[in-house]
Amino acid sequence: MDRAWYWKAGFIIAVTVVAVYALVPSWTYFRLPTDQRNESGVFEQHRPKWALTKRHLNLGLDLQGGIHLVMGVEVDRAVREKAVRRAEELAADLDRRGIKGVDVKGDPDTGYVTVTGSVDAVAQARNQISADYPDMTLRRNSSTTLELAMKEDAVKQLKESAVDQAVKAIRNRVDKWGVSEPTIAKRGDSSILVQLPGYSNPEKAKELLGRTAQLELKIVDDQNQLVTQLKDLPPAITVDWETYEGAGGALMRVPYLRSKDGVLLRQFVQGKAPPGEEFGIEKVEDRLNRESYYRTFLLDRKQTVTGEYITDARVAFDNSPGEGNRPYVQLTFNRTGAELFGKLTAANVKKRMAIVLDDNVDSAPIIQSEIPGGICSIHLGGLKPINEVLQEAKDLALVLKSGALPAPVRILEERSVGASLGPELIRRGSLAAVLGLLAVLLFMAIYYRFSGVVADIALVLNGIVVLAVMALLDSTLTLPGIAGFVLTLGMAVDANVLINERIREEMKGGRSIAQAVQTGYDKVFWTIFDGHVTALVAGFVIRAYGSGPVRGFATTLIIGLLASMFTSIVVTRAIVEWFVGHGKLHKAFSV
Amino acid sequence: MQMKYFELIKPGTNHDFVKYRRIAVTISLIVNALILLGAIVWPRLNYGVDFAGGTELQIKFDKPVAAGDVRDEVSKAGFGEPTVQEYGNKGENQFLVRVERIALLTPDAAAKVKQEVSKDLPQAQLTGFHFDPEVGDKLDFTFKKTVDPEQLKAAVEKAGVQAKEVRSLTAREGQDREYTVIAQGPGDKIGQLLRDRFGKESVQVVRTEYVGPQVGKQLRNDGILSVVYAIGMILIYVGFRFDFRFSPGVVIALLHDAIVTLGYFVVTRHEFNLTSVTVILTIVGYSVNDTIVIYDRIRENARKHKGKPLRDLVNLSINEMLGRTILTSGATALSLLGLIVYGVGTIQDFALAMLVGIISGTYSTWYIASPMTIWLEEHMAQRRAIEAAKPKVKAVPKPPQQAALR
Repeated sequence: MDRAWYWKAGFIIAVTVVAVYALVPSWTYFRLPTDQRNESGVFEQHRPKWALTKRHLNLGLDLQGGIHLVMGVEVDRAVREKAVRRAEELAADLDRRGIKGVDVKGDPDTGYVTVTGSVDAVAQARNQISADYPDMTLRRNSSTTLELAMKEDAVKQLKESAVDQAVKAIRNRVDKWGVSEPTIAKRGDSSILVQLPGYSNPEKAKELLGRTAQLELKIVDDQNQLVTQLKDLPPAITVDWETYEGAGGALMRVPYLRSKDGVLLRQFVQGKAPPGEEFGIEKVEDRLNRESYYRTFLLDRKQTVTGEYITDARVAFDNSPGEGNRPYVQLTFNRTGAELFGKLTAANVKKRMAIVLDDNVDSAPIIQSEIPGGICSIHLGGLKPINEVLQEAKDLALVLKSGALPAPVRILEERSVGASLGPELIRRGSLAAVLGLLAVLLFMAIYYRFSGVVADIALVLNGIVVLAVMALLDSTLTLPGIAGFVLTLGMAVDANVLINERIREEMKGGRSIAQAVQTGYDKVFWTIFDGHVTALVAGFVIRAYGSGPVRGFATTLIIGLLASMFTSIVVTRAIVEWFVGHGKLHKAFSV
Repeated sequence: MQMKYFELIKPGTNHDFVKYRRIAVTISLIVNALILLGAIVWPRLNYGVDFAGGTELQIKFDKPVAAGDVRDEVSKAGFGEPTVQEYGNKGENQFLVRVERIALLTPDAAAKVKQEVSKDLPQAQLTGFHFDPEVGDKLDFTFKKTVDPEQLKAAVEKAGVQAKEVRSLTAREGQDREYTVIAQGPGDKIGQLLRDRFGKESVQVVRTEYVGPQVGKQLRNDGILSVVYAIGMILIYVGFRFDFRFSPGVVIALLHDAIVTLGYFVVTRHEFNLTSVTVILTIVGYSVNDTIVIYDRIRENARKHKGKPLRDLVNLSINEMLGRTILTSGATALSLLGLIVYGVGTIQDFALAMLVGIISGTYSTWYIASPMTIWLEEHMAQRRAIEAAKPKVKAVPKPPQQAALR
């Protein structure tokens, strides 16, 4: 046994250990009852703490049932609506600057903005537009009429952000339902793929996803210490305290409930709020401790401004001295909203205002002073680094915009697999797959005896590595994925058969066992390599061009082929060489 | 040295595979042509909703029902001829019902609804109306004033369209009011018809799928493209690693296997969907591997036995690899056995089609791919001979044996 062999053996053992370790969360996941495993709280609770990753294998919709929707975002309409809003803004802007006698109109059908008026006023308006409206371009330009359109790159950006907003809004809602492991992804330029495993009511899903996002601003009631008096707190819910500087510099000390289980917390506080108030729940991401939990706020239902008055939300930068270009979120209200918001903030200075999106509290900043004029700014995270604040500000602007303007979505594709079909299919399917595998293993062991057992070890390791890589990639196991796996298995068996047949041949040619093993592996290497690489080439092409399930097939195939090359060529050789090298199998060696 | 082991194929077996190549290729050509005719001309593949677009329902009855009765009942709904197919095991009374339409609404019916609504609700001032046949049973209305959803629903139903629900969309200050009316779709209609006929409690709609025709077309194109590109890349790789003379054999063999696998879906009339495409892709991968292993051996033997005619080299190589080919195919088939015996519906189809492909892959390696190299070789030798026979050319013709392989 030379040095190289020990390196190889060490590497093989390391791969095996890592692969088994990576499968621990998947093991936990599949041991849970089917109706519970998709709730992230339950899964978190059962996952062993020593398993570093929480990534696990998922079952595709075809195996466990659920809903598959493809939603189209009407991006063109978002662009036209934006143009209309820009027209409103322009009108208000010109008015503020004392440019009178112009008429600004946005056409909701074409998305064009027309400005008409006297020669003088139009000239002033033209200057104003070229200075302050970089996203607009002049389509028609006469002395009394201007026709504006959104610039191409602005349109492109707007379309992208329209889809991003819709994705964000949909994700918010799905999170709220407690459906875990959902797939919500942009597909193409303007559609969104939504997969809800284990969810079985397509009508409800469509209704909830298609609805306009609801944004509300509510005042937090921090005087009420009701939560400390609640009885029968489940062990998963605890009371915690927080402090901030309230009116007149007085220190506010506020109790709240927190729990890792959002669904449980929501159920618990249901109906427990005092009259005229309600509980709001925020999902807090604690970056420091790398955990997330849910907490409550007590909200005043009477003091509310809704998102329907918001016309825009964007990230702006505070370049006043000492602020160092700190990003913040700027909201723009329309006239009615501005009035309502001014009143609300004036009456609640130094209190907290919760930003509630779809019944989830997004954040609860403190109102520092009355906010008149319909422009409200939300400053975030006191001590965090600038880039983190910028990301938060962008996210928040997106949330607010998704509340204020979701581009309408329509359903392009809908599939639902009934829950009654799911478990049945998976039970029989997995039983069938396991039986098939056992048959192959048994066959190899009987036919090749010793070498067959070595090949079996390699095949089992192959399976473990494939599943582990898939788990680490957070991928989904589907029927086409199993097809890819079967092909891989076939090729791994083939590789072992090729090697063993070759060693037999070489031994028949009169070589010693050691020589036969050596030449056998060397000669067969390129055959196996060619077969695998050709299939890999095909796999990568299919992954690049295929869609949906076909891609799942390609992913499994690629992972499987790489693993098969490793196990068939490297692992089996190391094992056989060990036995040959120790002279243990001179007579009994069977291929 | 005394060794004991199973030997499937005795060493020195010499079955003359090359001898039967003409018959084999003729039969294969006929079979392939028939399958292609069957897939394209008649009776055509039974496309699933993935590719055809439309609405598909999986329906479970609690008592035995004849497929013909289900078909008759569904065709009453008036969306043309439905496809009704038994699904799963016999005793489960399950059917797949597919209709091409994704919407009950036609543009004419939608226009009628618009007329009725603007007539019945004049005070609300209808300013916009939108119906898209691609989207299905959804009508968008825009009004200047607020409308009572119940009134809107009543107006829509007056025009003869069953409204499932009315959704009120954003009503922002100073903007028009938008409403969406969801009309009854083909899925609901079919469910309702079957419940009326077979009893409310005994019909269960297990699953509905709905794919717009545009999406279906795109899925189909993506599927075809991925197969074509994959074959192209394999051709290039094999040409690069072996010899371009080998590429046609590999590709013809894999086309053969892909078509025979397709034949499973033509003959059984079982649904052809995206999962079926992955089966064909699997067979393509399997077939290429199988062929390459033999080619590798031909190449090795060509080096070992210099001067031996290609015909003998091919035969020798196939025979030497006989045990391996049967073992591998057998083991792969074995891994599918469980799925064939215990699998249900799609899974069973999937495994059976794969089995067909594996058998075809083994056959094509022996009788199609390997003889192809001989033909190509003979063809090239002939060309060289013709070139040489031309009086102007001075080159001495090479004997075909030497040109055999590098």
